[in-house]
Amino acid sequence: MSLRVLNPNAEVLNKSAALHMNINAAKGLQDVLKTNLGPKGTIKMLVGGAGDIKLTKDGNTLLKEMQIQNPTAIMIARTAVAQDDVSGDGTTSTVLFIGELMKQSERYIDEGMHPRVLVDGFEIAKRATLEFLEKFQTPVVMGDEPDKEILKMVARTTLRTKLYEALADQLTDIVVNAVLCIRKPDEPIDLFMVEIMHMRHKFDVDTRLVEGLVLDHGSRHPDMKRRAENCHILTCNVSLEYEKSEINAGFFYSNAEQREKMVAAERRQVDERVNKIIELKNKVCTVTDDNFVVINQKGIDPPSLDLLAKAGIIALRRAKRRNMERLVLACGGEAVNSVDDLSPECLGWAGLVYEHVLGEEKYTFVENVRNPSSCTILIKGPNDHTIAQIKDAVRDGLRSVKNTIEDEAVILGAGAFEVAARQHLVNNIKKTVHGRAQLGVEAFADALLVVPKTLAENSGLDTQDALIGLQAEHDKGNIVGLNHHTGEPIDPQMEGIFDNYSVKRQIINSGPVIASQLLLVDEVIRAGRNMRKPT
Amino acid sequence: MDELLGLAEENNGDPVYKNTDMDMDVFYRAGETHQGIPTYTPRLLSIDMQGALGSLRASGSLYEGVPSLDASSVVTWKGKSTKHVSEPHKKNLFLQSLEDEDESLSYCNELAGGIEDNQTQEDKDKQCVDCLENGVEFWTDYSKVHFHPQSLFELNGLWRGPHEFNNYGTGREVFSECLQGEEISTRLRFFVEECDHMQGFQFIVDDSGGFSSVAAEFLEQISDEYRNIPILLYAARGPDSYTNIPSWKASMSKNLHDAISFSRLSSFCNLMVPLGLPSLSQSDASRFLCVDDAKPFHTSAVYAAALHSISLPFRMMLPGPSANSELIAGALDIGTMTQMLSGQAWQNMVTILDMAMPSPLIGERNEVGLHRSLRSLTPNIAEGSEDRRGVETMVIHGALLSGGSRASIHQVKNSIEYGYQNQAIRPLFSHLSTSLCPLPIPLPFPSIFGNRIGGYGEILEEPIFGVRARGSLGVSSIPMATRLRSSKAILPFIEKRLADIRKLGTARGSYGVELLQSWGFQKDEVDDMAEGLAKMAHALKDQPEISSDSD
Ligand SMILES: Nc1ncnc2c1ncn2[C@@H]1O[C@H](COP(=O)(O)OP(=O)(O)OP(=O)(O)O)[C@@H](O)[C@H]1O
Ligand SMILES: [Mg+2]
Repeated sequence: MSLRVLNPNAEVLNKSAALHMNINAAKGLQDVLKTNLGPKGTIKMLVGGAGDIKLTKDGNTLLKEMQIQNPTAIMIARTAVAQDDVSGDGTTSTVLFIGELMKQSERYIDEGMHPRVLVDGFEIAKRATLEFLEKFQTPVVMGDEPDKEILKMVARTTLRTKLYEALADQLTDIVVNAVLCIRKPDEPIDLFMVEIMHMRHKFDVDTRLVEGLVLDHGSRHPDMKRRAENCHILTCNVSLEYEKSEINAGFFYSNAEQREKMVAAERRQVDERVNKIIELKNKVCTVTDDNFVVINQKGIDPPSLDLLAKAGIIALRRAKRRNMERLVLACGGEAVNSVDDLSPECLGWAGLVYEHVLGEEKYTFVENVRNPSSCTILIKGPNDHTIAQIKDAVRDGLRSVKNTIEDEAVILGAGAFEVAARQHLVNNIKKTVHGRAQLGVEAFADALLVVPKTLAENSGLDTQDALIGLQAEHDKGNIVGLNHHTGEPIDPQMEGIFDNYSVKRQIINSGPVIASQLLLVDEVIRAGRNMRKPT
Repeated sequence: MDELLGLAEENNGDPVYKNTDMDMDVFYRAGETHQGIPTYTPRLLSIDMQGALGSLRASGSLYEGVPSLDASSVVTWKGKSTKHVSEPHKKNLFLQSLEDEDESLSYCNELAGGIEDNQTQEDKDKQCVDCLENGVEFWTDYSKVHFHPQSLFELNGLWRGPHEFNNYGTGREVFSECLQGEEISTRLRFFVEECDHMQGFQFIVDDSGGFSSVAAEFLEQISDEYRNIPILLYAARGPDSYTNIPSWKASMSKNLHDAISFSRLSSFCNLMVPLGLPSLSQSDASRFLCVDDAKPFHTSAVYAAALHSISLPFRMMLPGPSANSELIAGALDIGTMTQMLSGQAWQNMVTILDMAMPSPLIGERNEVGLHRSLRSLTPNIAEGSEDRRGVETMVIHGALLSGGSRASIHQVKNSIEYGYQNQAIRPLFSHLSTSLCPLPIPLPFPSIFGNRIGGYGEILEEPIFGVRARGSLGVSSIPMATRLRSSKAILPFIEKRLADIRKLGTARGSYGVELLQSWGFQKDEVDDMAEGLAKMAHALKDQPEISSDSD
């Protein structure tokens, strides 16, 4: 989609032109993204050339939808997207921070200052800010059971920047419970064990957490049950279809009779595999209201389906590879790769398995499982672009909970960290720095304020007033964030506004790196010249 | 194929389309929308850059109506919203006429058939032809097909124009980035799951640029996930991929790209068919055609026709045990065909695609023979080398007799057999598939036929006076012959790539080594690739006759 923002003429003309182009590109990208930020940000409806819609309030999605051509802007965009890949959030803030670092630098450069000096200052400021972050963070003690309230507050903070409050609050419980469901003590959290499924439905508030699994396919036989209780679940990766062997495919060497024999023999092998499954079913389903469900990663052809259906078995074919893992985590048992390994112990269990049909789409719900450690978030929405946007938000929410558990820390939000870090740099760090690198520290410190400033701006507040208010309150010794309704200082702790520690850390780390590279474009060129000079 | 269906339903259509013994469901699926309206869409997954679909929405138009651009349709956010509208792609005359047709069909299904104002229809068709000849920008400008919402996938976040997406390195990791591969695989699964008897995958890739590595990563995953399902890969490229090479560096990068991408792609499929000549218009393959190399609309029509034809055997109904079809013969599935071509004497999986468009009349006095009329669409091969150890499968459909009537299955078979007998060297093994049904030439088909092509694709003695090129308005169908050939004639194609990878990619300290590193290939990987290609080439040389020149 062509939000064609930036100057495509990327030829490097001369050093100062190159530098200014970098600055302009960074500012340009900042301008596009800044309205996104925070709970009062603007959602963007992007309409493509064919009338297709993307909805986004997310820096990450927006960047990917843009046709960016300017190489500097691409560099920044890549950094921001990488930010999302690594920590799952903070793309918008990254772009704003880089843009602001460039903007602040511009002032000094226009006054004749060498970018190198600024970059030195950035480096000092960055280290100091990271140290400050360690002090500023709020530790979260995990123990056996993580503090659910704090997890909810972090998830809610994130979700409310993407969805209207009621929906965000509903999803807050869902994402927290989902992560707690898949969490195993002392292991990294694998968010892939939360399946995200979507279904067309009028109301987005019907989005829910399914303890168990939702598959996007159903059985392929008319006689199989559409609903069954007390189900033994066989999770397997076994071919139950006739496959022409290589020898058989070379049929032009053999006569028709040989060929038919070969086909029959191969068919028999498939049937034997099916029969082994049926034997197991007969063994375990001793009571009449017991049921048996096969979920297979490989194919099941119609003759095999017939056999299974006759035996009263429900069978699904071509399940996602990842669902092999999820099913076992949800239902128990183990995934079987060969019918020789079949035993009652490899079976899982689900209280209820049923099919839901929507036009040609089929969904199979595997629910009422015991002690699941995999689950599904079923997103409902009236159309594709709504579903896609909710899905993006859910991913952000899940990441924020995972981060909190793994970081064992959170950061007070609403600009509180940025205001505090800025005051720390200006009041404590700057004076320890010799010479003009001080100005680099100051530029960095001021650039941090882009977050509270933009939050205020997006809330339609006077940014100057808001910032002055925040700094004054901070200097009284309080930790303060911005009340996005009134512009007054608030205590983010009281309001439950928390950001992820790792996200903040990543922003502070990567922002100055890119900004420095962009600023030093000048020096690279100069160095090239110097080298050619005879010494 | 859906063209054939349409023709079969037409009341006073040519009977040859009515009953073909072809199974359309092989490439198409029947489905229904949420409202229960039946649909028929290709079993297709297409991956392209964002913005490459022109006026077609990625979700198609069957399953979801035009979304409302009203701000009130933002239901997930109560705060401010803004709208950013790209310059809309207008539907061209042809697409508009399709839409009108769709509408009038649904309003007055039966009535419209007979009472049509012929005069205006003809004018309209002429206008459509003109607008397509000069105005095609996207493939969707001439596509008649409705697509399933799962079919069209757009890569986003590339931040590259088509001209920068031009080597193996640029496409790397695009597939794995940000769950895109995940989504693509899920979509493929959708189409696989519903198949009762999956024949195989036909995979077409433009391997001249970044899509090559996207395809390689995807193929790697497919071949891992669906182990026993054969993959038939067509590596196709347009004439423009041979031009625009401004510098030594660029040409070196291109050569390396070709070598790497050939090596990678061939390692994840069962049979590979490279196609795409540097200049189709100048080639012998288009001696009866009138192709403009600068128009992908033209060149892709020729290649698409060849692929349509070569894949006919996959769609032929298997004859019942007793019945012998008068309409078709030689049904093959993908697995059998790939086995047949790759598993024989040469153990070679890179095959040549030959084509005669149109195929010559059968039974003419000085008959050239179908065999000799075939011309390669695969570049860089040895010409005219008949091969004792070769294997080939031929597809002939809609062949005409010299009198102008349709040749029967039997007559085609005889003619082919006669041709083989008159050849100095007969291939080790050959297979023939044939059908009475020619290639239909419907309206969006470009005007690429020369003035010696008659209304049924017959080759005329004399050119039609005052006509330069003919298209769908003058020609209704074309008899076609295509052939896949596993032969040592492919040797130069492989050797060129082998030489390039050795010369440019493994020589110590060369620019090429650096380049390959930036594409993510370490030295030992490159060595392995070179070795793999050397093996391929060696297998094709390893025979007594030419053993003298290999030492
Ligand atoms: N209720 C609130 N009041 C004030 N500020 C808030 C509130 N909730 C969140 N914020 C602030 O909004 C910022 C996050 O906004 P947002 O999520 O839109 O951008 P991001 O995380 O930088 O990028 P992304 O687009 O990737 O999510 C954080 O600085 C956070 O502290
Ligand atoms: Mg965020």
